[in-house]
Amino acid sequence: MQTTIQLTVNNTPCEATVDTRTLLVDFLRDQLDLTGTHLGCATGNCGACTVVLDGLTVKACTILAADVTGSAVTTIEGWTQDTRQSGDLHPIQAAFVKHHALQCGFCTPGMVLSVQQLLQEKPHPTEADIRHGIAGNLCRCTGYASIIKAVQEIARGSGD
Amino acid sequence: MAYIGSAVSGILDTRLVAGKGQYTADVSLPDMGYMTVVRSPYAHARILSIDTSAAQQHPGVRIVVTGTDIQQWSQPIPHTLNPSAFGGKTTDIYCLAIDRVHYVGTPVAAVVADTRHAATEAAGLIEVEYADLPVVIDAERALEPDSPLLYPEWETNELMHVRFQGGDVEPAFANADHILDDTLRLHRHTATPLEPRAALAHYDDRAEHLTLWVSTQAPHPLRTTLANTLNMDENDIQVIQPQVGGAFGVKIPTYQEDPLACLLSKRTGRPVKWIEERTEHLMAGGHAREQTLKFSVACQADGTVVGLKVRIIGDVGALAAVGGWGMSYVASFVVPGPYKIPNCEVDLSIVVTNKGPWNAYRGFGKEAASFLMDRVMDRVADTVQMDRAAVRLKNFVPKDEFPYTQISGATLDSGDYAKALQAVMDKAGYHDFAEEQQRLRAQGRYIGIGVGFELTPEGGCIPDSFIGGYEGATVRVSPSGQVTVLTGVTSPGSGNETGIAQIVADALGVPLSAVRVIQGDTQACPYGLGNWSSRSLFMGGSASLYAAREVHHKVLRVAASMLQSTPEDLDCEQGRIRVKGQADREVAFNAVAEYIHKRAFDHHAFDMEPGLESTRYFRMGNIHHVPDDKGRINTYPSYPYAACVAVVEVDVETGVITLLRYVTVHDCGTVINPLLVEGQFQGAVAQGLGGLIYEQLSYDDNGQLQTGTFMDYTLPTAVEVPSVEIHHQEVPSPFTPLGAKGAGESGVSSPFGTIVSAVENALTPFGVTIHATPLTPQRVWRMIHATRHDNSGGADA
Repeated sequence: MQTTIQLTVNNTPCEATVDTRTLLVDFLRDQLDLTGTHLGCATGNCGACTVVLDGLTVKACTILAADVTGSAVTTIEGWTQDTRQSGDLHPIQAAFVKHHALQCGFCTPGMVLSVQQLLQEKPHPTEADIRHGIAGNLCRCTGYASIIKAVQEIARGSGD
Repeated sequence: MAYIGSAVSGILDTRLVAGKGQYTADVSLPDMGYMTVVRSPYAHARILSIDTSAAQQHPGVRIVVTGTDIQQWSQPIPHTLNPSAFGGKTTDIYCLAIDRVHYVGTPVAAVVADTRHAATEAAGLIEVEYADLPVVIDAERALEPDSPLLYPEWETNELMHVRFQGGDVEPAFANADHILDDTLRLHRHTATPLEPRAALAHYDDRAEHLTLWVSTQAPHPLRTTLANTLNMDENDIQVIQPQVGGAFGVKIPTYQEDPLACLLSKRTGRPVKWIEERTEHLMAGGHAREQTLKFSVACQADGTVVGLKVRIIGDVGALAAVGGWGMSYVASFVVPGPYKIPNCEVDLSIVVTNKGPWNAYRGFGKEAASFLMDRVMDRVADTVQMDRAAVRLKNFVPKDEFPYTQISGATLDSGDYAKALQAVMDKAGYHDFAEEQQRLRAQGRYIGIGVGFELTPEGGCIPDSFIGGYEGATVRVSPSGQVTVLTGVTSPGSGNETGIAQIVADALGVPLSAVRVIQGDTQACPYGLGNWSSRSLFMGGSASLYAAREVHHKVLRVAASMLQSTPEDLDCEQGRIRVKGQADREVAFNAVAEYIHKRAFDHHAFDMEPGLESTRYFRMGNIHHVPDDKGRINTYPSYPYAACVAVVEVDVETGVITLLRYVTVHDCGTVINPLLVEGQFQGAVAQGLGGLIYEQLSYDDNGQLQTGTFMDYTLPTAVEVPSVEIHHQEVPSPFTPLGAKGAGESGVSSPFGTIVSAVENALTPFGVTIHATPLTPQRVWRMIHATRHDNSGGADA
């Protein structure tokens, strides 16, 4: 069965016809070519498909595209565009690069979005806060240490 | 040396952090179809019939195939490592099962349809009639004479039997003060990278050319196996490796789905895309580790080990073409690791069972050898009542005895094992730990400390295979002075492209930003064997260094002529070539490059070969495939190692282990980039920790996988993995031009022995001895609980 949805993706209004079985992650990737959102497990465990839905991070493999009509979705592509300051990376992304807080990069877009959510809620997180804040995002490469370092540096520099 | 040794960030990081990495699943072509694979729900069965008629009729379906079609259209997939070359048994593996399935997840049919949904629906309409056969899921049971047989024509389930022997074992045992026996069991788990396997095959009928985009570690060998399997010429096949989202070994070999997607593209005349689901990966993507390690060790009262007998039974699941069984071979090859135990014998049985086939996973058997030797040392120490570290120090190969050849032929290249262990004990406060332990114990808290040592042979080179000890690279300088490096090695996301760029930038004296590294395209890159066994930097980097030096030689020759100097008198740094000590006599690297390209007949360049490009191959000088007088060959050229200390806390009420500290002194020779090396080591420890405590591929008695999703196959999160304290001890390899040894795999092995040792130490009051993994809370709780109810002796697990 097909259905038509209207939503805002990365600040752009969008209308699309989707198979009702289509997951939000597949809709973003296959129909909108937003391939920065990755699919790692399809059971809501790995977090590679993390996007921002109406201001909160969600795992896009646990949501049907048909259910997000009327909502606003931000993916890593839109977030990078919105937050980029005069061509530079966002401080979170810059800190990830500085500390090499990624290796293969597959979990990274989801991880970055979870970190921004964490810092929104807790601008000065403790190490334990950081670890729990990203516990929904699996990384198989880094062992997390460099990610923790990057987030600690941003938290120190965030001033408020 | 501007870049070598410095903590340069990954050159791909700025793209990856913005979600701009292009992985195989991100590549799309117009009119592509989606492939779905139908897999066996039985662990052991004969296929009686397959009815595809309903699926064929389903809307949107382009093709449905079974083993019968595959057998007609293609050849068996060449084994990555053929067991028959090692005196073992073998069997033909086609893209789909022909008439028999050997594990849950065996591919039996495939569908290509216009959409993913249509392919899934059609797959559900395929009716396979099976006659189930008796199942054997335990390797020791599989060795019994009345066991069900996976491959009846073998008349056994033993895939291979191997024996290594050195010295005089029996007299050593006869004269020893103590003899100890034990049996260790390592459980089945897997690498499971976050990016599933994926392939996009496009057969262009007009060009008669096949292109395969695929998440692989070894594009060139894959192209060769595709040509064999598909009856095609290698020239007509191009393999492209897009960004890879982690691999850790599982993406080395040619899988069944790779040629299958190609074949179905050829048959349908349109592109075919396949993306593995996590459940498929956990069933059929390749398993590892499950081994029984029996040992008998003879030692003297002073802790000297005088003899060792080891019996390894590797439960490698069903046989596939991916070569994973080789890990059990390597486990036996590495014994006795970093220790000098001349009287030693290893007896190995590699056994097939009705479980998923083994496939390479970081560690590749070295983790089993490491766990075994750490347990041997701990048991010896406890028996002679010595400190566990002191026993290791007593038995290490001394630093002045390298190169040192073990009984298997493994020839340890260089190192100072004792210094590394002493250093890590100092850094971890090993000697002062008991005080803190006693203080906390008085409060009812149980902390423990353990030592471990991993030896990680790297750069494996197996005769008559694509697992080889050489690599190639091309360095090309454009007229504008831009440098392209094309390598035969690839990156699965580990960052070797950054290390290689650093080496080339230094060799040419140009800024890092001028260097671009291209990997993983068989049409562009020199033939090479890909990424595995931590070989990319020390082999691929060495080939790149040789090529860069050759190009640099030409640049300096022309520059010297331009500056009326000699090549020896020139300095080249950050793209500027200067006469030493004379700041005003300089020429830009770019200007020299442009001159060489545009003025090949002018007076500074007319007497040399035109062009600024070199392809060079590097081979390891210490691999020996001609047997020595004892019949031994050396298949590994590089032997990095790590001494480790773990501190744990065990909650005795729940059995939950918390890893509080993990400290290491790691020697991978010259460190090209500490940020990359430390990132690899930390990630490897996380995988070792995950394997030891959290991850398990668990089967029931019918051979059904119980942990087929990330809901129940649990990877460690940021909460479980502490930040490892990493220190370097650089003993350069004498066999590589920069002194680099393999880096990347190290760290995955030591957690087994080190953490197990620490948990035992924490639970000393309960007299717990650990023999088996995983250390789940349930298992740990039972060990503690057993002694609470029965104080007559220690608890075993």
